[in-house]
Order: sequence, then structure tokens, then C-alpha cells
Amino acid sequence: MVQFLRRVADVLRAPVAVVAAGVATPLGLDLETFWSGLVTGVDGIGPIERFAVADLRVGRGGEIKKLAALADAAATSCRASVVLLTAADDLLAHATLTAEPARIAVVLGTALGGVDELDRAIAEAPGPRVAAGGLYDSPAHALARRIGAGGPVLTVSTACASGATAIGVGADLLTADAADLVVAGGYDVLGRFVMRGFDALRSLTRDRVRPFDRRRSGLLLGEAAGLMLLARACDARAPLGRLLGHASSSDGSHIAAPDPEGRGLEHAVRGAMAAAGIAPADVDLVSAHGTGTVLNDRIETGVLKRVLGARAGGVPVNSIKGALGHTMGAAATLEAIMCLLAARDGVVPSTLGYEEPDPECDLDYVPRAARHVRTRVSLSTSLGFGGCNAALVLEGGA
Amino acid sequence: MLVLGVGLLTGWGSGTSALPGDARAAADGRRVIPLATPPCEGERFRRATRECVLGVAAVEAALTDAGLSRAEISGPDTALVYVTAAAYGSSNRRFIDGDAGRGGTTSGLYFPYTAPSAVPAEVAIDYGLRGGYVILVGGAAAGVEALWQAAMLLGAGRCERALVVAVETFVECEDLWARGRWAVRGPLVEAAACVLLEGDGDVGYAAAAIPAALETLARRRAGETLACEPLIGVALARDAGDRQAAVTGQWRGRRMGVTLALPTTRAYV
Repeated sequence: MVQFLRRVADVLRAPVAVVAAGVATPLGLDLETFWSGLVTGVDGIGPIERFAVADLRVGRGGEIKKLAALADAAATSCRASVVLLTAADDLLAHATLTAEPARIAVVLGTALGGVDELDRAIAEAPGPRVAAGGLYDSPAHALARRIGAGGPVLTVSTACASGATAIGVGADLLTADAADLVVAGGYDVLGRFVMRGFDALRSLTRDRVRPFDRRRSGLLLGEAAGLMLLARACDARAPLGRLLGHASSSDGSHIAAPDPEGRGLEHAVRGAMAAAGIAPADVDLVSAHGTGTVLNDRIETGVLKRVLGARAGGVPVNSIKGALGHTMGAAATLEAIMCLLAARDGVVPSTLGYEEPDPECDLDYVPRAARHVRTRVSLSTSLGFGGCNAALVLEGGA
Repeated sequence: MLVLGVGLLTGWGSGTSALPGDARAAADGRRVIPLATPPCEGERFRRATRECVLGVAAVEAALTDAGLSRAEISGPDTALVYVTAAAYGSSNRRFIDGDAGRGGTTSGLYFPYTAPSAVPAEVAIDYGLRGGYVILVGGAAAGVEALWQAAMLLGAGRCERALVVAVETFVECEDLWARGRWAVRGPLVEAAACVLLEGDGDVGYAAAAIPAALETLARRRAGETLACEPLIGVALARDAGDRQAAVTGQWRGRRMGVTLALPTTRAYV
């Protein structure tokens, strides 16, 4: 038994290769357009055009304006699936699935699944396919069918931390030898359901999203999908980089607000760093959750200062939600991809919308413009409704 | 991997002793067997959904079964893995029906309870859980995967104990489930289950070609309980005095399996 424990612990410490990535975002429907948009400071947020928002306080968000039609075989009315499959097409443009179908797994994070399909099923009372599409795990199975994955298909729903939790579960599948390749990531799309919810909670800002800024007044939502192709590092090259460690935690504090002291997030961050075997001095970049809400940004800053100690002030901390909006289930995956691309190109995207420092948020948030700096090890943090926290430690480069 | 305790509530009653020998016959044509909401006191539960209360009650039953106090599982050393295929359906539907655009008046304050994370959040708050946290969505195969995730968290030393909680409700979306009769066999039986795990050991998570005996038994006795089914299988194995529980679960054409060790001596209700 001791041997088994040692084996699990050793395997969990072993890094996982990130072979390739694919995205569908308001900034672009492929990895390099997404990346160049982040680096050059493109704002992907604008008026929502696809559904009625006139009765809401806020009607703006990071909407994908043009989605290419999918091949007939994958035709679906479910927008979440379409966005997801678009990202999958981008992923497969960068990599080939070389494993046996039964050894290819899919792990996807989502806060909303295909809830718009549930809306349709209730309103229009069509056939069973739409009703089944209302289950949150439907898009993951659509993706598995699309790419011919015959292994485990898991849907993770830790709210807005889902994308990070999914990557962690995907890594666990590799370490448990339950799969040889894992397509892991997250997705979510805009719809009245989620816009009504956040609007009613007064979480949406009428200003622009301003993570960590003194004037920050809330978030804006976005829609996107982000996917990574994961493999055991001993089995594959890692052109994009490696996942060194991951951890999750619950706050046990509040249904919709983070723990005021950030204890849960701190536990997750320390757990991910321990799993990765890194010290604060090793961290070159932090991709923060950085929603632009008063509470989140202050709590996150406090946690980073406690965990990184004296190193905190010297580490660039950015948030890409000013450019995309909060893409919910996709957010953490896109942020993890950003970390790896930053290491690849030696440039860290700025925190769009951050202009005026807040005394309570006193770290280096990469203001104004992207910064040319070599980074290797990145820490990515995520939080979500229900006290969900997750952290990833990533290493760029082959 | 040792099962310390099991809590089980179903539309048939509490524990495995309430399960009929043949759920289909016992249902007598009823499509859904509802589960009454246990009483939960306190202001915090004023807005909580039925599913949240059921999740809390299932954990309480597992703690009673294991002879553990709340204090013994609170804090960062207990992980929580929650799984459901559909227990968000009722809250989602209520929120959709409440859209002012449809003449509804649902308060936005209800929105956080539409997320699948609402149920484990209430469990975590109630028991002060701050350890590893994974929420899976899917049917019986996901129930198996929840047990596997708990084993991974324990095996990696990320926690000392792990709670696997599953909740399924159907009443509020019975008409939608009726459309999916081709996908799920009846009767649909509402359920909430919790398995408390400790220790270590390889649970042998893998695809399964055929249903394990416990899957067949759980299905026959409990009916369609989706993600709860593997946990019911664990409870049935323990009641039978088995030394291990080999459970499988099938969902959307995929069947997965794990094997858990059961205590050789027990004092459970």
C-alpha cells in the first residue's frame, strides 16, 4: 500500500505535457488571432446582438460575432456545442490525436453547459434531442463524438473555476493511466439565462471592466471555449509547455461570494505550488482571476501577497478579462493558454482597463501595454460561485 | 480505499432497507418516485433549494453511519466530490420560467442556486469543508468517476478523508424526462447519497465492458437514480457483508468501473 501511495504521489508530481491548444473567443476563432489580440490590447467587448437585452441594466459583453458553420456531421443548434467544436477544430489544426480512440479522454469545464437548450426545450417543446441537450454534459459528448474520443468523457462544473478544475482532472486521468491523451478545457456562451442572473445580482458594470483598478465596479460576461491537448510528459513532446501542478478547494463560506479572507483560494494556490514543487521565487507570472469586482480583486491580491511573500511585488500579475469579459467555464483555460504563450513569445499581455492604482491592490498588474519579459513558470488562479477555487502551475517551453 | 460510512435517501425511504426488491414493480406505473425534503432549520436554508437540503441530509446520514462528528470532518483535510446528472434542472427551470420576458418574476437572488455548485456549496458551508473540491456532471458513469476522483485526492495526500455526494431530482422536470424515455429507463427515483472514504489503494478505475453485479442490483432495487446508482451499489455491497464493492455505471454509452474496500466489521444503522 505504501508503494501504491508513493507511486501516486510520484506520478502526481510528474508534469503533464501541453501538446497543443485551440480556442474560440471574441478576439478570434484561432489561437494566434486570440493571442495577437491580447498582446496588442484588442477589446473584445461590445453590445450584445444575438438576444434581447433591452430590459437588462447592462447589455454588453464579449460576444463572438461570427461563428463559421460546422460540417454537416456535427451540425447542432446548441451554441455551446458550436463554440466548443470550433475550438476543437482549431486544436486539431495544431495537433493529431495519435492514441487509440479508447485511450483518448475528454474533460470539459462549464458553468452553464447547454442551458440555452433547456430554455428551448421548455419554451418550444420540441423532441427529445433538445431536452437531452439541456443537460450540462451534452456539449462534452458532442466534442467526444466530433474528435472520435472513446475514453472517459467528464464534465466538470465548479462554476467559473471549471476550466482549471477540468485541466486538473484531465491530468489526473493521465497519471491514473486511464487515458493516453486528454482533451481538456472549458467553455460557456452568453444567453439570457446567465445575463439575467448576473444583471439581477448587480454584478455587471456599466463602465468597462477594470481589474484591480481603483474605479473597478464589476464584471462583464463573455463567451468562449479553450482546449488543451494533454499527454504524459514522458510520452510526448510539450511544444507549448507543461502543467507542473494543480489543486482545488472549497471556501465553505458563502453561496455566491468568496471567502472574505481568501482562505480557500490560498489553500488551492499553496496546494498547486506544493504539487509542482516550486517556491515563490520560481514564479515569473501570475494570471489572476481578476474579475474587476471590488471584492474579488482585493481578496486575490491579499492571497498572492501572503503566498508569494516578498516576491509578490516583483511578479507581473495580469487579468485578461478586460479584453474578453468573464468567459466563465472557459476563463481559466484561456488564462492557462495565455501563460504558455507568454512564455513562448517572451511577452505578457497587459491588464486591459487597469489605469488607476488602488491602495488595496498594490501589485504589478502590467498596466498600459504588453510587457516584453521572459517568463517560465506561471501561476493561474480561479474562483467561482459555490466557493470553488482552483490553481494551476504551468511551465512554458518544450 | 475504505468506506467509512454511507448515507442514503431515496424516494423509497432511508437506507437500503427501504429499497424494494423490484423497483419497477413497486413503482406500479409511476414514472417518478419523489423524495420528500428533510427539514433543515436555520436562516441559511431559507433560500436553499430542495437539492441543497437533500445533499446536506445525505452527508448527515453518512456521518451518523460512520460514527463521526461534524468537527471531525470540518477544515481543509476533508475533500468534497459532488456529482449529479440533473439536480440543477429544477432550479434552472424555475429561473427560466421566472424570466420577466415570459411574464415571470423570479428574483435574481435565486440565480446562484441554479449552478450545480450550489448543492456542494451548501454542504461545504454546513460542515465547514475547505479541502479539495471537484464537481462532476453526468449519470452513473460520472458517479463512478466521482469515487475515482476521491480516491485520487486521497492517494495523492491532498486530503485525509473524502466525501462523495450525489443528488438526483426529477419531479420538476418530469415532462422533459418523459421525452427522453429512450435514454433512461424508469422508474426515475429521486435520491441523495453520500459515501465517506478514507485511506489509500488503487481503485482500478477503468472502462467496463459489462455491468457489474452491483450495477444490476442497484438498478433493479432502486430504479433509475443516475449518478446516485454507484453509491447505492456501495451501500448494497456493504449490507451484504462483502469485503469489496466492484461498482460500474453507464451513461451515454460509456460504462466505467471502480472497486472499493469495505470494512470487515461495522456498526451501522
